[in-house]
Amino acid sequence: MASHGIPRPATTAHRTEQQLQEEQLQIQEYRDLEDLIRTKIAERQYTLEVLQLTSKLLKKNPEYYTIWNDRRRLLIYGLFSESSDSSSSSKEPSSSSPTVTTSTSSEGVSSSAVSTAENLTTTLHDPPSRNRGKSGTILDLIKGELEFLFPIMIKFPKCYWLWNYRLWILQQANERLDPDIARDLWNRELILVGKMLVKDSRNFHGWGYRRMVVTQLESQELHGKSMVESEFEYTTKVIHGLNGLSNFSAWHRRSKLIPTLLDQRGADDATRQQFLEDEFDLIISAMYTDSYPYAQSAWFYYQFLMTTVTDYVGHATITPNWTQEDRVVFVTRQLAVLGDMLDGAEDCKWVYDALIEYTLALCQMEEREPLPDEKTDCQSWLMELRKLDHLRSGRWDDLEISLEKR
Amino acid sequence: MSLVSGPGRAASSALPDEIQLAIEPHVKYIQSLDSRRNELEYWLTEHLRLSGLYWGLTALHLLGRPDALSRDETIEFILSCQNENGGFGAAPGHDAHLLSTLSAVQVLATVDALDELDERGKGDKEGGGKLAVGKYIANLQNRETGTFAGDEWGEEDTRFLYASLNALSLLLLLHLVNVNKAVDYVVSCANFDGGYGVSPGAESHSGQIFACLAALNIAGRIDLVNVDKLGRWLSERQVDGGGLNGRPEKLEDVCYSWWVASSLTMIGKLHWIDGGKLTEFILKCQDTKQGGIADRPGDMVDVFHTHFGIAGLSLLGYPGLEEVDAVYCMPKKVIERVLGPNK
Repeated sequence: MASHGIPRPATTAHRTEQQLQEEQLQIQEYRDLEDLIRTKIAERQYTLEVLQLTSKLLKKNPEYYTIWNDRRRLLIYGLFSESSDSSSSSKEPSSSSPTVTTSTSSEGVSSSAVSTAENLTTTLHDPPSRNRGKSGTILDLIKGELEFLFPIMIKFPKCYWLWNYRLWILQQANERLDPDIARDLWNRELILVGKMLVKDSRNFHGWGYRRMVVTQLESQELHGKSMVESEFEYTTKVIHGLNGLSNFSAWHRRSKLIPTLLDQRGADDATRQQFLEDEFDLIISAMYTDSYPYAQSAWFYYQFLMTTVTDYVGHATITPNWTQEDRVVFVTRQLAVLGDMLDGAEDCKWVYDALIEYTLALCQMEEREPLPDEKTDCQSWLMELRKLDHLRSGRWDDLEISLEKR
Repeated sequence: MSLVSGPGRAASSALPDEIQLAIEPHVKYIQSLDSRRNELEYWLTEHLRLSGLYWGLTALHLLGRPDALSRDETIEFILSCQNENGGFGAAPGHDAHLLSTLSAVQVLATVDALDELDERGKGDKEGGGKLAVGKYIANLQNRETGTFAGDEWGEEDTRFLYASLNALSLLLLLHLVNVNKAVDYVVSCANFDGGYGVSPGAESHSGQIFACLAALNIAGRIDLVNVDKLGRWLSERQVDGGGLNGRPEKLEDVCYSWWVASSLTMIGKLHWIDGGKLTEFILKCQDTKQGGIADRPGDMVDVFHTHFGIAGLSLLGYPGLEEVDAVYCMPKKVIERVLGPNK
């Protein structure tokens, strides 16, 4: 498969005859298992035994998406309808005859039809003794799936199919279990994804998964309420953690939470202004204390904050009621802060880049051309950029042309 | 076609000043991939076989060796992956998925065999032929939001949105979906840095940016992009060694030579990075003897990185390579044949 970061061993010695034979045996074993699963699925043997066969194969090869799909079919057309769960019995007390059996359920039926069939088998009228099917309750099955997935996810944290299957299983919980029980499962996911992000704080899947878990926990369906405050706290914690300043994923998440956070707090203008000042203090003091201002993640967050002031129409804003004058004063002050930052960081291209960007932004806000001094400053900062950053000289050429036009 | 990595290994240490693209070894490497059935890895990568064929075949076309794989066998294999619902799986007997369906359409377009779908394609219930493939894709659109799922199980991602518009446009069936809604969805994925993520709220990522820009391009709405901001963010993907990363402060990787450079090309800012340095980085990731390109110097080669490395070099105008189309990641000639010269 597409191999990322896998070093080739220095010695590429030829394999012995015995090693070659062993590999042929492994191939045979793998292909036999695959054939067996194929045959049984084609025969619609949606049983625990076949589920275990797919487990065996998926542990070897979690990228085999068709087998994950087989597993879904096994559950929704087989095991879920054979088992029953007392918690879901309150959902549909409308029918008394559990007539739908797996052998007659067709793969062609829609998922809503399937869940209706499921509800038919788990009605209030079922005697308590029938609440446990031979494969346990639906909750048992779902928990079993989540437990089965966990070690594989630790081993293959970037496998799309795993994250995707996990979400699907949890959605099954939403459809088939009491909301409080489903909510409990999602709550555990928040802890789990927290752990995954400790292991790899930039895992793209992990951050995406976290957003989806939070959306679920906030949903009406699961009797949820907003988690913006606690999620905002979480980003603060990550940013203050190891290598936090370089964690663009955390900064990004923070940028997305802020507008809602302030709205929900019902923040007045003064509070909003203070909030903006605090965010600037956070990012600038981080630049000073941590790796000094060379981490680009921090600069992109700085750009976000500045954008809320300079280019707020149609974008996220923190201080919507600021007048043009308030904004101009603020940007002017930031230009002074940036100027001070150069002292001791003369080799930091990000400072020069920001100085040019916000000097020009200021002119744009005031709807005027750069003053001669500003133009000279920009040209000297551009010279520094050219010296410090050769890779992007094409960008500096374009910048120079646009400065000349002003 | 296999995705088995190795046997080659990218050079790791000192290189001659003038390192060249090892065309013949790369051709042989790609040709050899399907003859590795005695390796367990070959069987463990079956779920990517069809995309592997797209990567290998496209690389061969860009290398100027379009006949290095048998056209007949290619067509046979592609058709053998089609399911009754019109979509294609990664290999015979695998479930249909949008990603392998896109690869199937791309490969058939490349070998000028899209008409074979009308002759021999499955999906009669959906009207058969190209239409059945188009309907399979169209059914995956979320009519409410405009985005697309990868298959019947519902995972949504802007990659799938792009895959759909790409395949449908090659089939000349774009009218089967709501393109305006898809465009609105892409716009809702934009971030303050000018980039795009998997879904609204998701972090900008070079792979998703490629997908979103290419989708906007196919829809004729590249005007919706914040070119200046995005161009700056993308240009900062180039690291000191010349390679490109996918997100701020991550490691460089040859496949981003494609995702980032094609995105810069689509917004007219490819000159905002150092093409010479990037070329050098890609060439350093080659195994010049046994063929193939790796993610980074010294790592195992595979056909995925071989393809994206060569496609990146083509974008950068490396001499002797066929021109690649930045939107479709296919030879420009092919796109002009299918869509006309002014697509």
